[in-house]
Amino acid sequence: MGRGFAEQSMVFVQVIVGGLLLGAIYALFSSGLTLIWGMMNFINFAHGEFVMLGMYAALLVVLYLGGSPVAFGAAAALALFGLGVAIYLALIRHVVRGPMLSQILSTFGLALLLRYTAFFIFSANFVSLPQTSLSGTLNLGGIFLPVAQLVAGVTAIVLTIALHVLLTRTTIGSRLLAVAEDRAAAMLMGIRPDRMQALAWGLSAGAAGIAGALLATAYPWSPSVGETFGLIAFVTVALGGFGSVLGSLYAGLIIGLIQAISAYWLGAIYKDIVVYGLFVALLWFRPQGLMGKA
Amino acid sequence: MKQPISPRAGVCLLAAVLLLFPLVFTEAFYRDIGVAFLLAAISASAWNIVGGYAGQVSVGHSMFFGLGAYAPLLCYTLWGWPLVAGIPVGIALSVGLALIIGLPTFRLSGHYFSMATIAVAELIRIFFGTWALVGGAIGLQGPAVARGWWDLTFRGDLPYYYIFLAVLGLLLFVTFEVGRRRFGFYLRAIKASERAARSLGVPVRLTKLKALALSATFTSAAGSLYAVKTGFIDPDSGFGILVSVQMVIVAALGGAGTLFGPLVGALILIPLQTAANTWFGGSGSGLTFILYGGIIVLIARFEPGGLHELWRRLAPIVWRRAHAA
Amino acid sequence: MLLDARNVTKAFGSFWAVAGADLSVAEGEIVGLIGPNGAGKSTFFNCLAGDTQPTSGRILFDGADVTRATPEAHARAGIGRTFQVPMTFEDMSVLDNVMVGAFLRHPHRSDARDHARRIVELTGLRPDQPGRSLGTPGRKRLGIARVLATEPRLLLLDEALAGLTPTELHEAIALVQRIHETGVTIVIVEHIMEVIMTLTRRVLVFNQGQVIASGRPEQVVKDEAVIEAYLGRGARSHA
Repeated sequence: MGRGFAEQSMVFVQVIVGGLLLGAIYALFSSGLTLIWGMMNFINFAHGEFVMLGMYAALLVVLYLGGSPVAFGAAAALALFGLGVAIYLALIRHVVRGPMLSQILSTFGLALLLRYTAFFIFSANFVSLPQTSLSGTLNLGGIFLPVAQLVAGVTAIVLTIALHVLLTRTTIGSRLLAVAEDRAAAMLMGIRPDRMQALAWGLSAGAAGIAGALLATAYPWSPSVGETFGLIAFVTVALGGFGSVLGSLYAGLIIGLIQAISAYWLGAIYKDIVVYGLFVALLWFRPQGLMGKA
Repeated sequence: MKQPISPRAGVCLLAAVLLLFPLVFTEAFYRDIGVAFLLAAISASAWNIVGGYAGQVSVGHSMFFGLGAYAPLLCYTLWGWPLVAGIPVGIALSVGLALIIGLPTFRLSGHYFSMATIAVAELIRIFFGTWALVGGAIGLQGPAVARGWWDLTFRGDLPYYYIFLAVLGLLLFVTFEVGRRRFGFYLRAIKASERAARSLGVPVRLTKLKALALSATFTSAAGSLYAVKTGFIDPDSGFGILVSVQMVIVAALGGAGTLFGPLVGALILIPLQTAANTWFGGSGSGLTFILYGGIIVLIARFEPGGLHELWRRLAPIVWRRAHAA
Repeated sequence: MLLDARNVTKAFGSFWAVAGADLSVAEGEIVGLIGPNGAGKSTFFNCLAGDTQPTSGRILFDGADVTRATPEAHARAGIGRTFQVPMTFEDMSVLDNVMVGAFLRHPHRSDARDHARRIVELTGLRPDQPGRSLGTPGRKRLGIARVLATEPRLLLLDEALAGLTPTELHEAIALVQRIHETGVTIVIVEHIMEVIMTLTRRVLVFNQGQVIASGRPEQVVKDEAVIEAYLGRGARSHA
C-alpha cells in the first residue's frame, strides 16, 4: 500500500514536471503572439502554423544537413524570422488598418494555406526527429525525464525571459514598445513604426520557430498540430494578459500544468477540452487575464 | 449607370432559373450539384448576417451547423422523434450557444469574438467525439426508411431541392427585410464604426447578439437539412473547421454584406469543388483547401468586398469602353 | 443647469489628465473649451460624452447622474457629440448615415427617413452622395448632421471646425449658429480663436488638467495665466 502510494505520487510528480516543461514551450511561442497583440492590436490566426513550420524546418535541417540541436534550432529561428517579416511586408501591413473581415481572414486564410500545403508536402503521418544528441532519459530521484524534454523546457524558459529582457531593457525593445504605446509619438521621435512592426513579426515568428524546433526534439508531430498550438496560444495569451510576455510565461506554465493534470485524471482526449473550456471561462470572467490590458 | 434589367426583374429571373433547374436538368449529377449549391448558399447567407452585415467575423460557425445537424438525429436515436421535430431543438440549442459566446465577447474587441468561435467549435467537436450519447467518433444515423413525410427522408433529390430552395428563399427574404429596417442600418453602422454608432445611441451589444442569434438560427437549420438529407452525421462533418471555412469563403468571395454575394460565391465554388473532387480524387480535398486558403488571403488583401465590390469598381469602366467602341 | 460637472478627475496610471475640473452649462448657452495641446480638455470632453469613465467626480445632466453612463445612454438622454476624426459610415450614403442617428427617436423607417432628409437639407449636404466620396469638410458636416438627427439637447462639438478653408469656416460657423438658434445647448472644444470669439459667450481655459480661467472670450484672452499657459513664462511681460 505504501509502495503503491509512493509510486503513484512519483507518477504524479512526473506528470507535473512534464506538464511544466511542455508549458514552458507554450510560453515561448505564446509570447510571440502576445507581442503582436500588444503592439498592433492584431491576432495572428496562423501563429500555430509558424510553430508547426519550425518543427518541419528542424526536421529538414537534420535530414539533409545533419547538425546539432543548436544548429537546427537556429535554422528554424532564422527561417521563421524571415517568414514573419515577409508576411508582415506582403500582407499584414496592408490589412491592419482595413475592415475587420480583412484582418481576421488574412491570417485565417494564411493558416489554411500553410497547414494544407504542409499536409500536401509531408502527408498527415506523425513524424519525429531521428536520434540527436538529446536522446535518452534521465532518472532524477525516481522521476524519468526524457533529456530532450528537459532541455527543451529549460531552453524555452530562458528564451522567453530573454525576449522579455529584450523588450524591456534594450533600446530596440523600448522602440518596439514606443510604437505599441503611441505610433504618432514614436514617429515624432524618429522611430519608424513600419520597421518596428516588421521586426516584431520577425521576432514573433522566430519565437514560434524556435519553440517548434524545441518541440521537435522531444515530441512527435504532424501538420495538424498547428491548429492545436494556435488555440493553445490564444488561451495562454488570454490567461497571461494580452501584451505581456511575462504573463505568457506564467500562463504557459499554468496551461501546460492544467493540460497534463487533465490528461492524467480525465484521460488524454480531454486535455484539450479543458484548455478550450478555460478559454471560454476567461472570456466570461477575466478577459484581461493575469497581467495585461484588455 | 443604366442597368440592362431592373433589380426586380433580375430577382424574378433568378427565381425562375432556380425553380426550373431540376426540371430541365434531370440527371442525378446535376440535381446533386443543385442541392449542394443550395445548401452552401443557405449556410453562407446565414453566416453573412453576422459576418458580412454586422462585421463580426465568425470562423467557427460550424458549431451552429453541427448542433442543427445532430439535434434531429439525436432526438430520433434517443426517443424516436420525427426528424422534423428535432429541427427546432437544434435551433434552440444554437441560439443558446450564440448567447453564451456573444454575451462576454461582444463587449470586447472583434478579435475576441473570432477567437472564441474557433475555440468553441473545436471544443464541441472534440467533446462530441468522446461522448457516447451522441455516438462518439462514429456519429449518428437517421431512419433507414421514412416513417412518414415528417422524417424528410426521400429517395431522389428532387424534394430536397425544393425544400432547400424554400428555406433559401425565406432566408434571403428575411435578410432583405431586416436590411431595410432599423436593425439593418444599425448592423451596417456597427460594421463601419462601432464608436460612432454608440455615440448615436445604437445599442451595440444587443444588436450584435440579435444578429448572431438570427444567424445561428438559419445556420442550424442548414445543418438540420444536411443531416436529414445525408441521413448521417459525425463530429467532423458537423463541427469540422472545413464546414466553417466553406461558409466564410462562399460568402466572402461573392461579397460579404451583400444579399446575393453568398449565392454568387456558391455558384462559383460548388462546381469548382465538385470538379476538383472528380479530377483529383481523394487528394482533391487537400488541394481544394490550399486553394481556399489562397483565395481567402487574396480576398483579404485585395478585395474584402469580394466579387460584388470588384464588379462595382470595374463595371463603369467596362461600360464606358463598350459604349465608346 | 442643464449640465453640471463637479470635480471631475481622470487618471491614467499615475498621470492625472484631468485633475479636478468643474463645468456648469445652462440651457441655451454656447460654451467654449480651449487650452494648449495635452491640457486635458479632450479627456474632459470624453468624460462628458461618456466615452471615458472619470476616476472621480460627478456629472449631472438635467438632474440625472450620467457620470458612469455609456455613450448609448448619453445619446438617449439627449447628449450628442461629434468626433475630431469624423468616422463616417463609408459604405452608406449621406442620407443613410443620418438615418442611423434618426432611428434613435424614430424607430420606423419612413419617419426616420423624413427626419433625416430635413436634417440633410439643413446642413446643406446631398442625400445620395456615398459617404466615402466626401472630403474632410463634408465628413465633418455629416458628423454634425448625424448627431443632430438624434435630437440632442446638449451638443458637444470636438474640434468640428478644424481644417477648413476660410469660406468653409464661415459656413460652418453659420451652421452652428443655426443649430444654436433651434434651442440646442452647445459645448465646443476648439483651437481656432475666430470660432471661439464669434460663437461663444463664455470660455473655459484648460491647462494641465485644470480650469485656469473662465469668463467672456475677450477677457480670457487677456488673462495672464492663460497667456502663460499658451506661450510660456516670459511671454507675460510682453502682453
